[in-house]
Amino acid sequence: MTPPFRKLLVANRGEIAVRVFRTCRAMGIATVAVYSEADRGARHVREADESVAIGPAEALRSYLSIEAMLRAARETGAEAIHPGYGFLSQSGDFADAVRDAGLVFVGPPGDVHRLMGDKQAARRRMAAGGVPVLPGYDGDAQDDGRLLAEAERIGWPVLLKPARGGGGKGMRVVRRAEDLASALAASRREARAAFGTETLLLERFIERSRHVEVQVVADAHGAVLQLGERECSIQRRHQKIVEETPSPALSPPQRLELCEAGVAAARAASYLGAGTVEFLLAPDGRFYFLEMNTRLQVEHPVTEAVTGLDLVRLQLEVAAGRALPLAQEQVESRGHAIECRLYAEDPDQDDLPSPGRVLHLSEPEGPGIRVDSGLQVGSEVTVHYDPLLSKIVAWGRDRSEAAARMRAALRQTVVLGVVTNLARLRAIVEHPAFAAGELHTGFIEEHLHELRPPACPPALAIAALAATLRLGKNGGGGARRKAPDPWASLGPWRLGGSA
Amino acid sequence: MRLRCGEELFEVEVREAKGEWEVVVNGQPLRLSLRSAGEGRSIVEHAGQPATLHFAREGGTLHLFWDGVAYRLLEAREDARRPTRHDTGALEAPMPGRVSAVKVAVGQRVTKGEELLIVEAMKMENALRAPRDGVVRAVHAREGEMVAPGRALVEIGDPGDRE
Repeated sequence: MTPPFRKLLVANRGEIAVRVFRTCRAMGIATVAVYSEADRGARHVREADESVAIGPAEALRSYLSIEAMLRAARETGAEAIHPGYGFLSQSGDFADAVRDAGLVFVGPPGDVHRLMGDKQAARRRMAAGGVPVLPGYDGDAQDDGRLLAEAERIGWPVLLKPARGGGGKGMRVVRRAEDLASALAASRREARAAFGTETLLLERFIERSRHVEVQVVADAHGAVLQLGERECSIQRRHQKIVEETPSPALSPPQRLELCEAGVAAARAASYLGAGTVEFLLAPDGRFYFLEMNTRLQVEHPVTEAVTGLDLVRLQLEVAAGRALPLAQEQVESRGHAIECRLYAEDPDQDDLPSPGRVLHLSEPEGPGIRVDSGLQVGSEVTVHYDPLLSKIVAWGRDRSEAAARMRAALRQTVVLGVVTNLARLRAIVEHPAFAAGELHTGFIEEHLHELRPPACPPALAIAALAATLRLGKNGGGGARRKAPDPWASLGPWRLGGSA
Repeated sequence: MRLRCGEELFEVEVREAKGEWEVVVNGQPLRLSLRSAGEGRSIVEHAGQPATLHFAREGGTLHLFWDGVAYRLLEAREDARRPTRHDTGALEAPMPGRVSAVKVAVGQRVTKGEELLIVEAMKMENALRAPRDGVVRAVHAREGEMVAPGRALVEIGDPGDRE
């Protein structure tokens, strides 16, 4: 089949740019990387056919600059732009600007981004489309008296959410009527500062809930597919770090109901391309629409692992106006897949990004293991961008095999030079509650709050390091060059048995 | 040798004995055998248990990876906080970190040992001090900036030698 495009530009960096290029290579599409000054010589730049410098390290003037992206596309003759995730991927203005420039935006049109970026409008549209939403209030009247009455109707605890925006900013749980007024004031202040408007939504807050999302893909001919769900309940500060599919919490009928709600949401939004509908799954098994991500998701590889599909390929074909190459009954799911996100961040320091240079790197490999990485030895992790280093994905015939492969993969992973969350990831997948599939969004706080990897190495590690350094120093020649023979430590055994 | 991890200090003595190593860490003696397993990696055996050490050096910082956890240590020599390249008067960052304060300006007279700037690394503030008396000729660091090891931060010249 002829490739859908001759040349494609990825308006992103890091592992997702590398990931998109991989599919382009397989499809015979020429690739263009863009890079900021901080990313000169980065892996995504080396792996593209061409690259264009787009500005300084500061994202606002490089990866978030619509003008710079369009200029790079013009200069290189790219026909299509893939936005990746983050940066401009959910910007309606960017989607429109790409289209207005006569190029193809790999994703839904600007109006869909704007609809889903507005929590109030999205909630109303979903409710109208028959998608379950949380008991809540999404009206325009915003005076304290009205909101108190609505909160009493919804029932405590209530979650306040800015109508625009995301990322947890301005969100607040209120447990008692007497706390509402001060919480409203604080959330409005934060919402106005972050998003320019203080309109709030009220929703019932559900304790110990799970985060489950449905992958959908829609083409321009009216077909909408669901590619199953992903459970992303393990989060820190509202950010996912471990994801899996299928969700251990769903029975087959529940799964089907949830995935069909995902399709209904995509239809209600007149969706085009690959997208993710996020749901909250309550302990009683009921689920409610949270939001829709109008782009490829970080954790899409687990879906690829169980379905065998290439989501980027589907995105590109649909963006070119082609029909989806398969029907819902041809989507099959096999086994179980888990993803761990390796971040350059310090769990000991409120998950602050940990900049530095990668000095040494061992990535895991083996049956069922996939690593999506934008990393190489010498890579600089800067404070300018999201500190995701790589994604480790393990597939197994069932959940326990996938988990065992993930545990082994994390034990093989070594990163030196930057502080990572590797020890925390290991603690999560080795925890009995994880093995039992008992996941919820407070998992880390509940089980691993007291987890503190030791700040300093044990004496044996110090001893090993000191001896290794001495060994290296003595390595110049002479008798001491010989490394100590591991057999020497075995005691009174001799090889050959002639002692 | 002396290694610093945060505020903890490790005094380490290493002796090679009959193909094994005897290492005393803060008074605790440990016997181990060791072999190199390629650049930055060695296999250690202690009390019959093998383990792998990964390490890398970056300026005065030693990075090591042990049992799933990465650590950073500073080699605490007498002059660990002193700049390298004394002769040129350039003061370099000894470790990757964030410049949290610049305390001098071009043209300012400084005396040996005076604090020139503060680099925050490994959750600690490290004061970088003047290696000698002189006049600040150039300041290459801004507050809040991330710096890599070896990067020249401040240059100091002789009083009077304004180019």
